[in-house]
Amino acid sequence: METLKYTFQAEKRVKHKAHVGVVGSANLEVIFLPTNNSFSTMDISSKFEGHSAVWKSILERFFAENNCLADIEINDFGATSGVISLRLLQALEVANLDNE
Amino acid sequence: MIMNSFVELTARERAEAIVDKGTFRELLDPYENFRSPHLLKQGIIAQNDDGMIVGKGTFNNKQAVVISMEGNFQGGGIGEVSGAKFAGALELALEDNKKGIPTQPIILFDTGGVRLQEANYGLLSISEIQAAIVELRNYQPLIGVIPGRIGCFGGMSMTAALFSYLIITKEGRLTLNGPEVIEQEAGIKEFDASDKVLIWNTLGGANRVATGYADYLAEDSLEDIVRIIGKCIGLGIPVHRSTKIDAYENLLASINPKENLTPQGLQEYMKRHGFLEKDYTVKKVISNKKDHLQKQLPAQVIHSRGRSWFNGIVGKDYVNKSKIDSVMCGDISLNGEVARVITVVPDENSYYPRAKGGEVGLEQGWEIARCIREAMREDEGKVSRPIIAVVDTPSQAYGYKEELLGIFLSCASAVDAYASARLAGHPVVTLIVGNAISGAFLAHGLQESYIISLDDDKIVVHAMSKKSAARITKRSISEMDKAAADVPGIAYDIHSFNCLGALNHLIKVNNHDAPLNEDINLIKAELIKGIKTSRENGNTLKYRLKTENAIIYRALSIEVREKLKELW
Amino acid sequence: MSDKPRWNLAKLDKNERINAAKKFTTTKEIKASQIVDFYEAIIKPGDKVVLEGNNQKQADFLSKFLAKVDVNKVNHLHMILPSISRTEHLDLFEDNIAEILDFSFAGSQSLRIAQMVQDGTLKIGSIHTYLELYTRLFVDLIPNICLVAADKADHEGNLYTGNNTEETPTLIEAAAFKDGIVIAQVNEITDNLDRVDIPGGWVDYIVQSPEPYFIKALFTKDPRNITELQILTGMMCIKGIYAKHGVKSLNHGIGFNTVAIELLLPTYGESLGLKGKICTNWVLNPHPILIPAIESGWVRSICSFGGELGMDKYIRARPDIFATGRDGSLRSNRTLAQLAGLYGVDMFIGSTLQIDYYGNSSTVTAGRLSGFGGAPNMGHNPGGRRHSSEAWQSLVSSDDPLVKGKKLVVQVVETFGQGVTPVFVEQLDAVNIGRKAGLPAAPVMIYGDDVSHVVTEQGIAYLYKAENLDERKNALRAIAGVTPFGMSSTKENVDVLRQKGVVAYPSDIGIKVTEAKRSLLAAKNMEQLVEWSGGLYEPPEEFKCW
Repeated sequence: METLKYTFQAEKRVKHKAHVGVVGSANLEVIFLPTNNSFSTMDISSKFEGHSAVWKSILERFFAENNCLADIEINDFGATSGVISLRLLQALEVANLDNE
Repeated sequence: MIMNSFVELTARERAEAIVDKGTFRELLDPYENFRSPHLLKQGIIAQNDDGMIVGKGTFNNKQAVVISMEGNFQGGGIGEVSGAKFAGALELALEDNKKGIPTQPIILFDTGGVRLQEANYGLLSISEIQAAIVELRNYQPLIGVIPGRIGCFGGMSMTAALFSYLIITKEGRLTLNGPEVIEQEAGIKEFDASDKVLIWNTLGGANRVATGYADYLAEDSLEDIVRIIGKCIGLGIPVHRSTKIDAYENLLASINPKENLTPQGLQEYMKRHGFLEKDYTVKKVISNKKDHLQKQLPAQVIHSRGRSWFNGIVGKDYVNKSKIDSVMCGDISLNGEVARVITVVPDENSYYPRAKGGEVGLEQGWEIARCIREAMREDEGKVSRPIIAVVDTPSQAYGYKEELLGIFLSCASAVDAYASARLAGHPVVTLIVGNAISGAFLAHGLQESYIISLDDDKIVVHAMSKKSAARITKRSISEMDKAAADVPGIAYDIHSFNCLGALNHLIKVNNHDAPLNEDINLIKAELIKGIKTSRENGNTLKYRLKTENAIIYRALSIEVREKLKELW
Repeated sequence: MSDKPRWNLAKLDKNERINAAKKFTTTKEIKASQIVDFYEAIIKPGDKVVLEGNNQKQADFLSKFLAKVDVNKVNHLHMILPSISRTEHLDLFEDNIAEILDFSFAGSQSLRIAQMVQDGTLKIGSIHTYLELYTRLFVDLIPNICLVAADKADHEGNLYTGNNTEETPTLIEAAAFKDGIVIAQVNEITDNLDRVDIPGGWVDYIVQSPEPYFIKALFTKDPRNITELQILTGMMCIKGIYAKHGVKSLNHGIGFNTVAIELLLPTYGESLGLKGKICTNWVLNPHPILIPAIESGWVRSICSFGGELGMDKYIRARPDIFATGRDGSLRSNRTLAQLAGLYGVDMFIGSTLQIDYYGNSSTVTAGRLSGFGGAPNMGHNPGGRRHSSEAWQSLVSSDDPLVKGKKLVVQVVETFGQGVTPVFVEQLDAVNIGRKAGLPAAPVMIYGDDVSHVVTEQGIAYLYKAENLDERKNALRAIAGVTPFGMSSTKENVDVLRQKGVVAYPSDIGIKVTEAKRSLLAAKNMEQLVEWSGGLYEPPEEFKCW
């Protein structure tokens, strides 16, 4: 198990909190919380150790494309990068839904 | 054309889908961040809701509380947080109902039972869940759904057996010991854990409904499950399965444990004897068991701590009130009142051979229940006598027939009886003199309103034998021991168990195996104190979270309940 | 004066063997209990033995007892095995009964083969595709002994192979008409056959095996295990490839990526109005995943390599879709289906374990010498094709009247395999494994220049559009995610490629990544497949959770 923390400068504040995913085999849980800061925080717990470079790449791409402002928590049970990116997008979508 | 799969949904989606549209409100949602610190300490990724979803809503406009387990997270296992969410929600629902606010509980099972990485936390939680269920059942029918993929295993199968109605799909499995554990403990000849056909034929929903261990077979469809839940609510509170002692004891006596029994065979047998008919009553005990007992040589008395302490406490001139030799039950005079003492001991002649070594097996569970309920009946309108459980049991019995014939229900009947006795005013006190393990401990020892234990390093308290636990959690025994150093809930010794606050007193005696007179007197004095304290506390389990140790080591169990109450 | 040349040596040899076998039988029937003695009488050292076992049906009784012959009597065999799936296939070499191996595919035994080659216990002739191996049986690997499996035989030796005809007729034909000895294990010997798949005149001996032959439901996948990413790539394939090129005739590989596509047709495909426009004619095993698409009217015909367990009743009830015999059951034929997959279809789509920076791919990884089965037959552009179709023509990227169309060869992968193993690698493991095994060429499954499209969760690379090797490499880089290869991609490059249509990301083809949900699957579990089939599909026990 490895814990990683990052911050990213970002601008588009998410509307509300969001939660997707399950901490199950090759899956992960992603939580978005709105923030008043001018940067997003990432708080990651991951089953695999020694893959901070991959995490960093995934997150850099995610923030470059989405520029979203939130405090994000991830509990990862060995998901592939594709699944991680998908969950991040799903959580972002829920966080910006209008009906909540 | 194709129905909406219910199994497909996550625990949260299931909970939300089951109540009236738009009425679901989750309590202690993932944003509250109640991750399991015990998992994290062991380097295991935890989930923010700890795999237990609790929510309120309405079902057909009736207020309901839904509790749903996430099978994809740690096999839906019950740890401290998830257990406290479950128990806490039931306790609040109970309060509501007592206050005259009808609240319908609906439980969506998907669980392997105790989460082995939190072992005794899970065991305690489950006993608290069971206590709440037995009481809540007097107000509302308890409705449980077992959709799969995991099913309902271990201590949670005993919990399910206390329910008023169980709805299960063909894919759902209901069993005390999982196939892998039976194979580990009793050998591959007893149960081949790789034989999927055998597993589903025996433990699967279709057989469970056909043999009456569950009530309704549902399609894997939201609509069908909702329909059946509605039907169950309409039927109201039934006579609970776990109280039908005569019927099940008769069934067990009429089956020959030495003969091959297929699930199909059991179904046909039950049909032939009208066992599942509503008005089924026991006419006469069928003679299989009598023949067996007549043919047996008198059994050699096998020494066990349970037997020694029982004999020491009860004295020589007692008549066993139990019908079987492996359950000892006698009344004594204690501090001027009658008290009933019960223990489980080894018996070479045990009719069901998998329970020869002091295990709580098919017969033992029902017989404990009968001994308790007999006292309850005799005491109606009088002072409710104390009931004392002397605990020394290696485990529940592991075997194919045990699962086929519903050992989870048998164990649940003992739970039911102990809890019902407490509710009827009987102080129920546990004395741990030997091992206290898993389902056997839940059935015999964990419904008590006061627990005493000998202060002996040899005593083991746990949810599963080390070998099986290692196989299931895919860890080595040394890795497990290492983890136990940090998490008291998973250690096997009585001192670690004591940390969790459920023990009222640890007592040093001179001889653990063969108690001296002074040891017996010391223990009797403790029992008297326990009985008094239990009465003062209203004979509930609530004391557990008020002890000094609990305030430190079960802080989360307390906090989760408090937080739930705020959000309720 | 020399002897007159003799032209019937093989015939004389065969007669000699048959005479030697007369002490066991004077008819075609051999007793199962005598099979080892029989083998020792009829097989000669150094014989070429073709043994049926593709990745579905196994002549397992015959192989099990071949491994029990006395090595002093039977040795130096040259084994020709379409698929090596059973331990005894390799025990033959360890016990010195056999010496040389020609094969196509080695699933579960792939690790052991690689080790045995290194240890020198086994000499590999060649690794083939199925079609190559079948055809060589008629050219320079003509078998002396042919061991096959069938469902039933009559006393004349007529064989009924039912759903699982597979490669049996091909193997038998190669031996029967070149004086080889054909021995068939059958599940049952009966007086009357419902249909004759192989005439008795081609068969020398039959033996009723104590157990039915082993067969695996190879193509059946539980829809439960389809992931959202597979649904995403499935949507991308349907919209960005099938619809774009108008792919009507096709072959699907084995695996969850294509299974996802099959279950998206009746839902997502339907919503795009594609029914009748794509995926009408299939070369595919008759596996249950396609049932929803068949039932909702997408499929016109299916040509099958083999049968699939549990599908018999369903197939019997849908003769317009499947090829069936007079008895109503499926007729499959691996050789012809492989040929159809080579020449007759517009597209092959499958998955792989590794892709290098130029698009070469292989499933030979981490010491596993797995071979390829049929994938390379289907997964290449056949230079000999002359008929045209919309999809075929759509890959023409020049006005030159002499430029031909091309087959679509599509590879779908997730950028990372299990956990953190990148699928895109600088050099395929196959290169080193091939070298170590002393193979003259690296065991590449599909060569980069045959691949027209690669799809990952990040996007589609339309490699056929790439103007040169550099552009091909950049296109792959652009969809390689956060693998080291993918991270070497630059935004400028990617923008140009997207502009040119050499690369498309989901948003470029109007797909929202978050729309990829399991609710889109026409069936989410095995029970729903049974439901779609109206109860006609009977899943094998291993797929039942009830």
